[in-house]
Amino acid sequence: MIAFTDIVGMDLAKQALMLLAVDPSLGGVVIPSAVGSGKSTLARAFADILPDGTPFVELPLNVTEDRLIGGVDLEATLASGQRVVQHGVLSKAHKGVLYVDSLSLLDSSAVSHIMDAMSRGVVLVEREGLSEVHPASFMLVGTYDPSDGEVRMGLLDRIGIIVPFTAQNDYRARKKIVNIVMGTRDREDTDDELRMLRGLIEAAKEQLSHVSMTNEQIKGLIQTAISLGVEGNRVDIFAIRAAIASAALAQRTEVDDEDLKLAMKLVLVPRATRMPEREATEEEMAQDEPPPPEEEQPEAEDENAPPDNPDADAEEEQEETPDMIEELMMDAMETELPDNILNISLASKKKAKSGSRGEALNNRRGRFVRAQEGEMKSGKVALIPTLISAAPWQHSRRQDKKMSGRPAGALIINKEDVKIKKFRDKSGTLFIFMVDASGSMALNRMRQAKGAVASLLQNAYVHRDQVALISFRGKQAQVLLPPSQSVDRAKRELDVLPTGGGTPLASALFTGWETAKQARTKGISQIMFVMITDGRGNIPLKAAYELNAEKAPKEELEKEIEALALSIQADGVASIVIDTQMNYLSRGEAPKLAQKLGGRYFYLPNAKAEQIVEAALS
Amino acid sequence: MTQTAKAAKKTSSAKAKAPAEAKAAPEVKKPTSKKKQALAFPFTAIVGQEEMKLSLILNIIDPRIGGVLVMGHRGTGKSTTVRALAEVLPLITRVKDDIYNRTVEQYVEAESGKKGAAAINPADVKTEQIPVPVVDLPLGATEDRVCGTIDIEKALTSGVKAFEPGLLAQSNRGFLYIDEVNLLDDHLVDVLLDVAASGKNVVEREGISIRHPARFVLVGSGNPEEGELRPQLLDRFGLHARIITINDVAKRVDIVKRRREYDEDPEAYLKKCTREQQKLQKKIVAAQELLTQVTMDDKVLTDIARLCMNLGIDGHRGELTITRTAYAFAAYKGQTTVTMEHVKEIAGLCLRHRLRKDPLETVDAGEKIDRELAKVLGEAEATA
Repeated sequence: MIAFTDIVGMDLAKQALMLLAVDPSLGGVVIPSAVGSGKSTLARAFADILPDGTPFVELPLNVTEDRLIGGVDLEATLASGQRVVQHGVLSKAHKGVLYVDSLSLLDSSAVSHIMDAMSRGVVLVEREGLSEVHPASFMLVGTYDPSDGEVRMGLLDRIGIIVPFTAQNDYRARKKIVNIVMGTRDREDTDDELRMLRGLIEAAKEQLSHVSMTNEQIKGLIQTAISLGVEGNRVDIFAIRAAIASAALAQRTEVDDEDLKLAMKLVLVPRATRMPEREATEEEMAQDEPPPPEEEQPEAEDENAPPDNPDADAEEEQEETPDMIEELMMDAMETELPDNILNISLASKKKAKSGSRGEALNNRRGRFVRAQEGEMKSGKVALIPTLISAAPWQHSRRQDKKMSGRPAGALIINKEDVKIKKFRDKSGTLFIFMVDASGSMALNRMRQAKGAVASLLQNAYVHRDQVALISFRGKQAQVLLPPSQSVDRAKRELDVLPTGGGTPLASALFTGWETAKQARTKGISQIMFVMITDGRGNIPLKAAYELNAEKAPKEELEKEIEALALSIQADGVASIVIDTQMNYLSRGEAPKLAQKLGGRYFYLPNAKAEQIVEAALS
Repeated sequence: MTQTAKAAKKTSSAKAKAPAEAKAAPEVKKPTSKKKQALAFPFTAIVGQEEMKLSLILNIIDPRIGGVLVMGHRGTGKSTTVRALAEVLPLITRVKDDIYNRTVEQYVEAESGKKGAAAINPADVKTEQIPVPVVDLPLGATEDRVCGTIDIEKALTSGVKAFEPGLLAQSNRGFLYIDEVNLLDDHLVDVLLDVAASGKNVVEREGISIRHPARFVLVGSGNPEEGELRPQLLDRFGLHARIITINDVAKRVDIVKRRREYDEDPEAYLKKCTREQQKLQKKIVAAQELLTQVTMDDKVLTDIARLCMNLGIDGHRGELTITRTAYAFAAYKGQTTVTMEHVKEIAGLCLRHRLRKDPLETVDAGEKIDRELAKVLGEAEATA
């Protein structure tokens, strides 16, 4: 077991965990990091700096609903003749830590339960005749590898601190890690350091209520949140708590610039949906929905406001960010995002993570989640839940005359007792739309193409399928919308799709295939490519990562596309190619593409949207 | 709890109704939230999000409006607001200790209809006042807990088949709140749709046959990006309130300050807000009483019908909801005549989720409603 103080590097993550230890109301810490960076070692070592006896519960990824929430303990119930309740994992973590490794792989229903418990501080157990409330106020520590997928934003919203993603690559540090693993460090040193750290945290906890923060500082953090396009208002509070905890750790009574910077770095910047310099466009401000027709009833407003509004006079200066704050913000951004603005655009995209509606309960496949009433023939019988549901009736059934012939010890189980297992499995089809947005398309029929996609989207909505949207233009393809059920978002992305540039068809196929593979790991088995293109790829794959590599001989281009198309076909992905080329210009590229993909071909001007839909679904 | 008790005393004495009850009020048992929420952030201290607050208040004034669906950004106080509701709700009278929160009439009707039961004199039935129940339906709830089932403990220990009511029973005449309603399992959605349509919950199992009233105001909240709502369920909600991140710095500073003050000492903060809370509660009670006197001109009704028709809304739930909501809104404003001005304020809430979904549409639902409203209003003025 490696101790907290022995872990080298990951200073920001360590700082984050210390803040959490000082103020557990920060909710938790999420550490995204690549494989083998020691993130889970660090997370487990978190227990070292917490007071003795603090629960530390590790959540297994395959946890079932009843283990998570709690339920009836059958064995004890039958033995005692009284209902005995078993607490779930969430409640076992009460006043302690709930640790989830690979947070992004956690089943979405489990995520929902965790979110629910975090927002209430308790678990409501309303199952199998039980109605109980178990305290479940815990700190969530989650680690995950971003290449496995992203964590649901709803959950991240309840967790105060997100450690900015960094790939650990410092070999000297690694060497040191190895030394520790080999046991070259003195155990006593470690113990002393840990003791010191714990003392520091205890002192900081006491300091917490003595730390003050100025109005300007609070305003600065909020302004930052707004200019980074952070969604929701809950984050403001987390940022303030983090700044205060940071000051408390330094035994100060006032929050200073360093504290603010740390709060921005750990709370606000990782949730940014846009770069701060740019003036936000109307659309972005509105994000999901345009602002409501906010004719606030002034009457109601006045009445609801407290009599003394301390901030009424501060209103006029709200628009300008104090220079100092702006500097701090840029500083916080720069240190964490050296040349990687991608992180930010990533945050804005992962919002649209696939809706869990794409998962359906079924009787045969997937992961066992719960037992439910059902016909014995219609699925696998869940033995224990069946016994639980039969148990209470035994007494009265035995008194029933019809049953008198039964041997005394036998259980009497009726049809109604039978519970079958419900499994959770992603259902429906994932449609990956690949829209050619190159210059030639702008000429062609972008509008028509959009229309066709829109009616397919409408259909996907009705059938509860998932959609993903990839556009390709210029040097490479780009995932505009990862697999999601939000038809609205797909529609919006499509509306603002810019056109122009070359046709990186190979890159589109590659990106689509990657998306398909990822969806497979999440249990979506049926995948269909819908390609809207003229089929004239003219940019090679390598253009995406190599400078001046936009040109390639025609044979090479064709080879790339053919190889990809054949692999995709072999992988069992179905395809439709919708040809947008003007008739007289066509050299038959699109039909060729369809053939290589083993998919169906449509000529757009002839194809009615309904036909395409029909083809896609047949 | 102390708050509710105080409020209870006040309202019941204000109503000058059965003084004996008013005395009993401080011992009032909260049937649903007895162990659930200790303290909730006060409703009146919630900054902004007027659309959601108004929707909830209108549903208290007239539960027949059919509930609210609150959809919007994360971390904008959706569930805080709904959970805060309990403290501003007026009291209702139920038969003493009745698990289904029935009124005397409902109780007498149901119980004297039973085989071998003697006729019950309504005057003999004891009553009590309780706050309107707000029941939380967690996502992981099982069907038997929602609908009710056999009391396991009694069955195991004494072999008695006793019915243990579920969440639907508890929520009768109150609110049933589902957070993340868009993630609710389909089988539970089916149950809810069924009960919401009939107003009754029926449980039939060997030797147990229970039928009890289950009329509740359905309140759901969620984030549309996490998944869409099933159309049938969407249609069940009377109103659809949207909620977005507040981007006004001053307001946000205010939110943060209030929250921090509350976190530091919840009880003291609640105390500070008591007056506001009671004021709102009084206003709601007054509106409830005024509601029976509110009238609506036939012309307004015609305009409402025309609005729904022009928007191509299927069925008549749109008109019905607008009418009821406009009545409640007028009552809330202390007025006794519904005008198109009232309708204008609430039409978006009532119709937003009833427009046909068209992915090609670029115009926002609210805008579309406003446009049609302006047309109808223009026509109305022209003919006048």
